[in-house]
Amino acid sequence: MQELAQALLDAKKQVGLCSVCFHLSADPVCEICRAPSRDPNTVCVVSDSRDVIAIEKTREYKGKYHVLGGLISPMEGIGPDQLHITPLVRRVNQDNIQEVIMAISPSVEGETTTLYIGKLLKPFTRVTRIAFGLPMGGDLEYADEVTLARALEGRRDLDMG
Amino acid sequence: MFLNTLHLWQFRNYCDQWVEFTAPKTIVLGENAQGKSNLLESVELLATLRSHRAMRDRELVLEGTEEGRAAARLERAIGAMDLGMVMRRSGRRTLVANGQTLKRQVDFLGLMSAVEFSSLDLDLVRGGPGYRRHWIDTLLVQLEPMYHHLLQQYNTVLRQRNALLKRHAKSDSSCLNSTELAIWDAQLATVGTRVIRRRARAIARLAPLASTWHSNISDHRETLILRYAPSVPMDADDPEQIQQTFLERIKQRAIAEQAQGTTLVGPHRDEIDFIINDTPARQFGSQGQQRTLVLALKLAELKLIEAVIGEPPLLLLDDVLAELDLNRQNKLLDTIQDRFQTLITTTHLGSFDAQWLKSSQILTVKAGEIIENEP
Repeated sequence: MQELAQALLDAKKQVGLCSVCFHLSADPVCEICRAPSRDPNTVCVVSDSRDVIAIEKTREYKGKYHVLGGLISPMEGIGPDQLHITPLVRRVNQDNIQEVIMAISPSVEGETTTLYIGKLLKPFTRVTRIAFGLPMGGDLEYADEVTLARALEGRRDLDMG
Repeated sequence: MFLNTLHLWQFRNYCDQWVEFTAPKTIVLGENAQGKSNLLESVELLATLRSHRAMRDRELVLEGTEEGRAAARLERAIGAMDLGMVMRRSGRRTLVANGQTLKRQVDFLGLMSAVEFSSLDLDLVRGGPGYRRHWIDTLLVQLEPMYHHLLQQYNTVLRQRNALLKRHAKSDSSCLNSTELAIWDAQLATVGTRVIRRRARAIARLAPLASTWHSNISDHRETLILRYAPSVPMDADDPEQIQQTFLERIKQRAIAEQAQGTTLVGPHRDEIDFIINDTPARQFGSQGQQRTLVLALKLAELKLIEAVIGEPPLLLLDDVLAELDLNRQNKLLDTIQDRFQTLITTTHLGSFDAQWLKSSQILTVKAGEIIENEP
C-alpha cells in the first residue's frame, strides 16, 4: 500500500509535459522528440496523450507528435487559446515541417479543431487528415450506418498504379 | 409488423407489467392518469427513441427508482425481434436488439416503426413552428435512421456556436476569435444543409399523400398544400448552392447574432406551411378543417412509412378517436382495417362501433396495472 502510494506521488511529481510536443514526459523533452531516428519533418496532431500511445502501438508511424490537450468546445469554455495550438504554429514555422497529419476523432468538436488548425497551417505546410472508414475484417453489411456514410464520404479514386 | 408483447419495468407508473397483444386492434380503457398514454409512449420510444411527452429520461423512470426498462417482442416479415431500452435518471440509455447491446442509437432505429396520433397533435396546426419541426424530424428518423445522427450533430454545432456567441455578447472586450467563428459557421452550414435537404425530400414525398387524403376526407371540397419554408431559401436541391446561401445569410445576420448571442439562421428556424384552399390553415382554418388536416397528415405518414420499409407500421391513437366526428372516424377506421396494428386509448367505449369492439382486444388500466377484459 505504502509503495503504491509512493509510486503515485512520484509519478505526479516526475511526470510533466514535453516542452516541444506536450506529450506526457518525465524529462523536459520527451523520448519521441529526442529520438534521432524519427522523421523531424512530419508531425501528427492528436488531442490527448492516450492517442499518442495508441498510434505508437502500431509501430507504423515514424514522425513526431503534437498533443493539443483537448478539443475546441465553447460550451466547456475551451477555445483555441486553451489548447497548445500557438506552440504548434511556431513549430511549423521554425522547424521546416513538411506535413502535418491531423489525427482527431470526427466528432463535431474534433472536426472544428481539425478545420481550425488546417486553416492556420495551410499557408505554411501540407496538412492531411487520417481517413475514417470500415474496420479491418468487418463485413460491409455489418458496418453501422454512420461509419458507412463516413467511409462513402471519404471515398477516392481507385489507384490502378 | 406485429407487436406481440410489451414488458414495462419501472417505467412511468408501471412497476413490472407484461402485456400480450392478441388482436390487430387493442383498446386500452381507463380513467385519466391511470397509465394509458404511458403504455403508448413506451411503444413510441422503442420506435423513434423520442417521446412527444417527455423532455428528459428522468420523467420516464418510476418515482423512487434509478432506472426503468421497456422491452418488446415484435414480429416482422424478416422474423421475430426482441427490442429493449433501459433509461436512467442520469439520461444514459442502453439499447438492446436481439440480445445484443448496440453501440449506436442509429442501429436501433428502423427496427420498429410507429405513427403516433394524439389530441396534442392539433398543435401541429395551431402551435408554433417547433411542433412542425419536431413532427417532420420524428418521421424522418424512421424513414432514414441516419437522420438521427445528423440532427444530433446539428444540435451540437448549434449549442457550441451559441455558447461562443453568448460569451462574446456578455464580455465587453470584443475579442471574438473570427477564425474560430468562421469554422463554426462552416460547420453549421455543412450540417445544416444536410438537415434541410433531407427535410425537403421528406416533405416532397409526404405532400402528395397528405393532399390526396385531405381531399378524400373533405369530400373533395378542399385542397391541401404542404410547403417547406426553410430558414435558408433553396431554389433547387443543390448542396453547394444551399451552403452558399446559408453562409451569405449568416453574414447578413452577423451583427444581430453577436448582439443577441444566439444563432439566427439555420434549420432550427425552419417552418412548414399548411395551406388549405390558398389560405394558411393556422390562421384561418376552422376546428373541423384543422382536424381533417391532422388526420390527413397522420394517414400520409402511415402510408409513407409503409412504402419505405415495405411493411405496415403500428398506429398509436392516444385519446384521439373520440375527438373525431363519425365521418372522420370512419375514414380512419376504413384505412386501418386489420392491416395496421393499432393501439387505442380511451376513457369510455361508448363512441366505438359495436362491430369494431367485437373484433378488438380490450385492456383496462388502473393505477399502473393492466387487466385483460373478458371477451
